[in-house]
Amino acid sequence: MAEHKGHRHTGSGAGKVLIGVYALFALSAGARAGFQITQRFTEAPVAYSLSALAAAIYLVAAVALARGSAVARTVALVCCSVELAGVLVVGTVSYLLPRSFPDATVWSGYGAGYGFVPLVLPVIGLIWLHRTARSRPRETESTSDS
Amino acid sequence: MVDGLATVIIIVGLVVGAYGGLMALLDRAPQLPQLVGLAALEVALLVQCVIALGKTFSGERPDQLATFVGYLLTTVLLPPLGALFGWSERSRWGSAIIAGAALVVTILVVRLQQVWHG
Repeated sequence: MAEHKGHRHTGSGAGKVLIGVYALFALSAGARAGFQITQRFTEAPVAYSLSALAAAIYLVAAVALARGSAVARTVALVCCSVELAGVLVVGTVSYLLPRSFPDATVWSGYGAGYGFVPLVLPVIGLIWLHRTARSRPRETESTSDS
Repeated sequence: MVDGLATVIIIVGLVVGAYGGLMALLDRAPQLPQLVGLAALEVALLVQCVIALGKTFSGERPDQLATFVGYLLTTVLLPPLGALFGWSERSRWGSAIIAGAALVVTILVVRLQQVWHG
Protein backbone atom coordinates (compact mmCIF):
# COMPACT_ATOMS: atom_id res chain seq x y z
CA MET A 1 0.00 0.00 0.00
CA ALA A 2 2.29 2.77 1.21
CA GLU A 3 5.49 0.93 0.49
CA HIS A 4 6.56 3.20 -2.34
CA LYS A 5 7.37 5.91 0.21
CA GLY A 6 9.73 3.65 2.12
CA HIS A 7 7.22 3.02 4.87
CA ARG A 8 6.70 -0.56 5.75
CA HIS A 9 3.08 -1.44 6.00
CA THR A 10 2.16 -3.93 8.73
CA GLY A 11 -0.17 -5.68 6.30
CA SER A 12 2.22 -6.75 3.56
CA GLY A 13 4.96 -9.33 3.23
CA ALA A 14 5.39 -11.43 6.36
CA GLY A 15 2.68 -9.28 7.92
CA LYS A 16 0.15 -10.90 5.64
CA VAL A 17 1.02 -14.32 7.04
CA LEU A 18 0.54 -12.89 10.52
CA ILE A 19 -2.87 -11.49 9.57
CA GLY A 20 -3.87 -14.88 8.16
CA VAL A 21 -2.93 -16.66 11.38
CA TYR A 22 -4.77 -14.06 13.47
CA ALA A 23 -7.86 -14.38 11.28
CA LEU A 24 -7.74 -18.18 11.54
CA PHE A 25 -7.50 -18.01 15.32
CA ALA A 26 -10.29 -15.43 15.51
CA LEU A 27 -12.46 -17.82 13.51
CA SER A 28 -11.62 -21.00 15.40
CA ALA A 29 -11.61 -19.51 18.90
CA GLY A 30 -14.73 -17.49 18.09
CA ALA A 31 -16.70 -20.41 16.70
CA ARG A 32 -15.73 -22.58 19.62
CA ALA A 33 -16.54 -19.92 22.21
CA GLY A 34 -19.86 -19.15 20.50
CA PHE A 35 -20.84 -22.81 20.64
CA GLN A 36 -19.73 -23.25 24.25
CA ILE A 37 -21.44 -20.08 25.47
CA THR A 38 -24.75 -20.83 23.77
CA GLN A 39 -24.83 -24.56 24.61
CA ARG A 40 -23.31 -24.92 28.08
CA PHE A 41 -22.21 -21.59 29.48
CA THR A 42 -22.86 -22.58 33.12
CA GLU A 43 -20.31 -25.42 33.01
CA ALA A 44 -17.31 -23.11 32.80
CA PRO A 45 -18.38 -19.48 32.46
CA VAL A 46 -14.91 -18.04 33.09
CA ALA A 47 -13.19 -20.30 30.57
CA TYR A 48 -15.76 -19.68 27.85
CA SER A 49 -15.80 -15.93 28.41
CA LEU A 50 -12.02 -15.89 28.17
CA SER A 51 -12.15 -17.82 24.91
CA ALA A 52 -14.62 -15.27 23.53
CA LEU A 53 -12.40 -12.41 24.71
CA ALA A 54 -9.36 -14.03 23.08
CA ALA A 55 -11.29 -14.46 19.83
CA ALA A 56 -12.32 -10.79 19.87
CA ILE A 57 -8.72 -9.69 20.46
CA TYR A 58 -7.48 -11.88 17.60
CA LEU A 59 -10.06 -10.35 15.28
CA VAL A 60 -9.18 -6.77 16.26
CA ALA A 61 -5.47 -7.53 15.88
CA ALA A 62 -6.02 -8.98 12.39
CA VAL A 63 -7.99 -5.92 11.26
CA ALA A 64 -5.51 -3.49 12.85
CA LEU A 65 -2.52 -5.18 11.18
CA ALA A 66 -4.35 -5.17 7.85
CA ARG A 67 -5.06 -1.43 8.11
CA GLY A 68 -1.61 -0.40 9.29
CA SER A 69 -2.32 3.26 10.02
CA ALA A 70 -0.77 4.97 13.02
CA VAL A 71 -3.90 4.42 15.12
CA ALA A 72 -4.16 0.83 13.91
CA ARG A 73 -0.55 0.20 14.93
CA THR A 74 -1.35 1.36 18.46
CA VAL A 75 -4.44 -0.86 18.52
CA ALA A 76 -2.36 -3.81 17.32
CA LEU A 77 0.27 -3.08 19.97
CA VAL A 78 -2.38 -3.11 22.70
CA CYS A 79 -3.89 -6.33 21.32
CA CYS A 80 -0.56 -8.15 21.22
CA SER A 81 0.34 -6.94 24.73
CA VAL A 82 -3.03 -8.01 26.18
CA GLU A 83 -2.72 -11.35 24.39
CA LEU A 84 0.76 -11.98 25.74
CA ALA A 85 -0.30 -11.02 29.28
CA GLY A 86 -3.44 -13.15 28.90
CA VAL A 87 -1.67 -16.28 27.72
CA LEU A 88 0.99 -15.93 30.45
CA VAL A 89 -1.51 -15.31 33.26
CA VAL A 90 -4.11 -17.87 32.16
CA GLY A 91 -1.37 -20.39 31.33
CA THR A 92 0.17 -20.01 34.79
CA VAL A 93 -3.18 -20.10 36.59
CA SER A 94 -4.24 -23.19 34.63
CA TYR A 95 -1.17 -25.02 35.97
CA LEU A 96 -1.33 -23.71 39.54
CA LEU A 97 -5.12 -23.86 39.99
CA PRO A 98 -6.44 -26.36 37.42
CA ARG A 99 -9.87 -26.34 39.06
CA SER A 100 -10.48 -22.71 38.14
CA PHE A 101 -10.76 -23.81 34.50
CA PRO A 102 -13.01 -26.87 34.25
CA ASP A 103 -12.79 -26.65 30.48
CA ALA A 104 -9.88 -25.54 28.33
CA THR A 105 -9.52 -22.06 26.85
CA VAL A 106 -7.29 -20.99 23.99
CA TRP A 107 -4.80 -19.74 26.56
CA SER A 108 -4.80 -22.73 28.97
CA GLY A 109 -1.42 -24.40 29.43
CA TYR A 110 0.16 -21.49 27.55
CA GLY A 111 -1.81 -22.50 24.44
CA ALA A 112 -0.61 -26.12 24.46
CA GLY A 113 -3.90 -27.27 22.89
CA TYR A 114 -3.14 -25.12 19.86
CA GLY A 115 0.51 -26.03 19.41
CA PHE A 116 1.63 -23.09 21.59
CA VAL A 117 0.72 -20.75 18.73
CA PRO A 118 -1.24 -18.49 21.15
CA LEU A 119 2.01 -17.99 23.11
CA VAL A 120 4.25 -17.39 20.08
CA LEU A 121 1.80 -15.26 18.07
CA PRO A 122 1.79 -12.10 20.26
CA VAL A 123 5.59 -12.23 20.50
CA ILE A 124 5.90 -12.38 16.72
CA GLY A 125 3.29 -9.61 16.48
CA LEU A 126 5.28 -7.35 18.79
CA ILE A 127 8.53 -8.08 16.92
CA TRP A 128 6.78 -7.33 13.61
CA LEU A 129 5.38 -4.04 14.91
CA HIS A 130 8.84 -3.11 16.18
CA ARG A 131 10.55 -3.98 12.90
CA THR A 132 8.08 -2.13 10.71
CA ALA A 133 8.20 0.90 13.02
CA ARG A 134 11.98 1.07 12.97
CA SER A 135 12.17 1.29 9.20
CA ARG A 136 9.43 3.85 8.97
CA PRO A 137 11.18 7.22 9.30
CA ARG A 138 14.29 6.41 7.24
CA GLU A 139 13.90 5.15 3.74
CA THR A 140 17.37 3.61 3.70
CA GLU A 141 16.50 1.04 6.33
CA SER A 142 13.45 -0.24 4.55
CA THR A 143 15.61 -2.19 2.15
CA SER A 144 16.78 -4.53 4.91
CA ASP A 145 13.80 -6.79 4.25
CA SER A 146 14.42 -10.51 4.28
CA MET B 1 -16.43 -40.23 6.74
CA VAL B 2 -14.59 -41.97 3.97
CA ASP B 3 -11.23 -43.14 5.23
CA GLY B 4 -9.69 -43.64 1.77
CA LEU B 5 -10.65 -40.15 0.63
CA ALA B 6 -9.35 -38.65 3.86
CA THR B 7 -6.01 -40.34 3.27
CA VAL B 8 -5.88 -38.90 -0.26
CA ILE B 9 -6.69 -35.42 1.10
CA ILE B 10 -3.98 -35.68 3.75
CA ILE B 11 -1.40 -36.70 1.14
CA VAL B 12 -2.42 -33.94 -1.30
CA GLY B 13 -2.46 -31.43 1.56
CA LEU B 14 1.04 -32.41 2.62
CA VAL B 15 2.32 -32.22 -0.98
CA VAL B 16 0.78 -28.77 -1.58
CA GLY B 17 2.08 -27.63 1.79
CA ALA B 18 5.59 -28.92 1.17
CA TYR B 19 5.70 -27.43 -2.34
CA GLY B 20 4.49 -24.04 -1.08
CA GLY B 21 7.01 -24.17 1.75
CA LEU B 22 9.79 -24.96 -0.70
CA MET B 23 8.77 -22.06 -2.97
CA ALA B 24 8.74 -19.76 0.06
CA LEU B 25 12.25 -20.91 0.98
CA LEU B 26 13.37 -20.31 -2.61
CA ASP B 27 11.95 -16.77 -2.37
CA ARG B 28 9.29 -17.34 -5.06
CA ALA B 29 5.87 -15.73 -5.19
CA PRO B 30 2.92 -18.08 -5.72
CA GLN B 31 2.59 -19.40 -9.29
CA LEU B 32 -0.06 -21.41 -11.08
CA PRO B 33 0.96 -24.88 -9.77
CA GLN B 34 0.19 -23.79 -6.23
CA LEU B 35 -3.30 -22.64 -7.23
CA VAL B 36 -3.87 -25.92 -9.08
CA GLY B 37 -2.78 -27.78 -5.95
CA LEU B 38 -5.23 -25.88 -3.79
CA ALA B 39 -7.99 -26.40 -6.37
CA ALA B 40 -7.38 -30.18 -6.37
CA LEU B 41 -7.47 -30.13 -2.59
CA GLU B 42 -10.72 -28.17 -2.66
CA VAL B 43 -12.43 -30.64 -5.00
CA ALA B 44 -11.55 -33.54 -2.72
CA LEU B 45 -12.67 -31.56 0.34
CA LEU B 46 -16.02 -30.71 -1.26
CA VAL B 47 -16.64 -34.39 -2.05
CA GLN B 48 -15.73 -35.30 1.52
CA CYS B 49 -18.01 -32.57 2.88
CA VAL B 50 -21.00 -33.75 0.84
CA ILE B 51 -20.48 -37.42 1.77
CA ALA B 52 -19.95 -36.64 5.46
CA LEU B 53 -22.99 -34.34 5.66
CA GLY B 54 -25.04 -36.99 3.81
CA LYS B 55 -24.03 -39.63 6.33
CA THR B 56 -24.76 -37.24 9.19
CA PHE B 57 -28.27 -36.55 7.92
CA SER B 58 -28.95 -40.27 7.46
CA GLY B 59 -28.24 -40.94 11.11
CA GLU B 60 -24.57 -41.91 11.19
CA ARG B 61 -23.09 -39.11 13.24
CA PRO B 62 -20.24 -38.47 15.67
CA ASP B 63 -20.82 -37.55 19.33
CA GLN B 64 -19.37 -34.07 18.93
CA LEU B 65 -21.57 -33.13 16.00
CA ALA B 66 -21.09 -29.33 16.23
CA THR B 67 -17.32 -29.65 16.34
CA PHE B 68 -17.40 -32.03 13.42
CA VAL B 69 -19.56 -29.81 11.22
CA GLY B 70 -17.51 -26.76 12.23
CA TYR B 71 -14.26 -28.44 11.16
CA LEU B 72 -15.90 -29.76 8.00
CA LEU B 73 -17.06 -26.31 6.86
CA THR B 74 -13.70 -24.76 7.78
CA THR B 75 -11.87 -27.29 5.58
CA VAL B 76 -14.01 -26.27 2.59
CA LEU B 77 -13.49 -22.54 3.23
CA LEU B 78 -9.72 -22.59 3.76
CA PRO B 79 -8.36 -23.39 0.26
CA PRO B 80 -10.26 -20.60 -1.58
CA LEU B 81 -9.48 -18.08 1.16
CA GLY B 82 -5.84 -19.18 1.24
CA ALA B 83 -5.64 -18.92 -2.55
CA LEU B 84 -7.09 -15.39 -2.64
CA PHE B 85 -5.03 -14.16 0.27
CA GLY B 86 -1.81 -15.89 -0.79
CA TRP B 87 -2.10 -14.86 -4.43
CA SER B 88 -2.58 -11.21 -3.43
CA GLU B 89 0.82 -11.24 -1.72
CA ARG B 90 3.37 -11.26 -4.55
CA SER B 91 6.34 -12.42 -2.52
CA ARG B 92 7.61 -15.55 -0.80
CA TRP B 93 5.09 -14.85 1.94
CA GLY B 94 2.27 -15.52 -0.51
CA SER B 95 3.68 -19.02 -1.03
CA ALA B 96 3.95 -19.37 2.75
CA ILE B 97 0.24 -18.50 3.13
CA ILE B 98 -0.76 -21.14 0.54
CA ALA B 99 1.44 -23.72 2.25
CA GLY B 100 -0.07 -22.79 5.61
CA ALA B 101 -3.64 -23.12 4.31
CA ALA B 102 -2.87 -26.59 2.91
CA LEU B 103 -1.23 -27.75 6.14
CA VAL B 104 -4.06 -26.43 8.33
CA VAL B 105 -6.54 -28.32 6.12
CA THR B 106 -4.44 -31.47 6.58
CA ILE B 107 -4.48 -31.08 10.36
CA LEU B 108 -8.23 -30.47 10.33
CA VAL B 109 -8.87 -33.62 8.29
CA VAL B 110 -6.85 -35.63 10.81
CA ARG B 111 -8.95 -34.06 13.58
CA LEU B 112 -12.13 -34.83 11.60
CA GLN B 113 -11.14 -38.50 11.48
CA GLN B 114 -10.56 -38.50 15.23
CA VAL B 115 -13.90 -36.82 15.97
CA TRP B 116 -15.77 -39.14 13.60
CA HIS B 117 -14.34 -42.29 15.14
CA GLY B 118 -14.80 -40.85 18.64
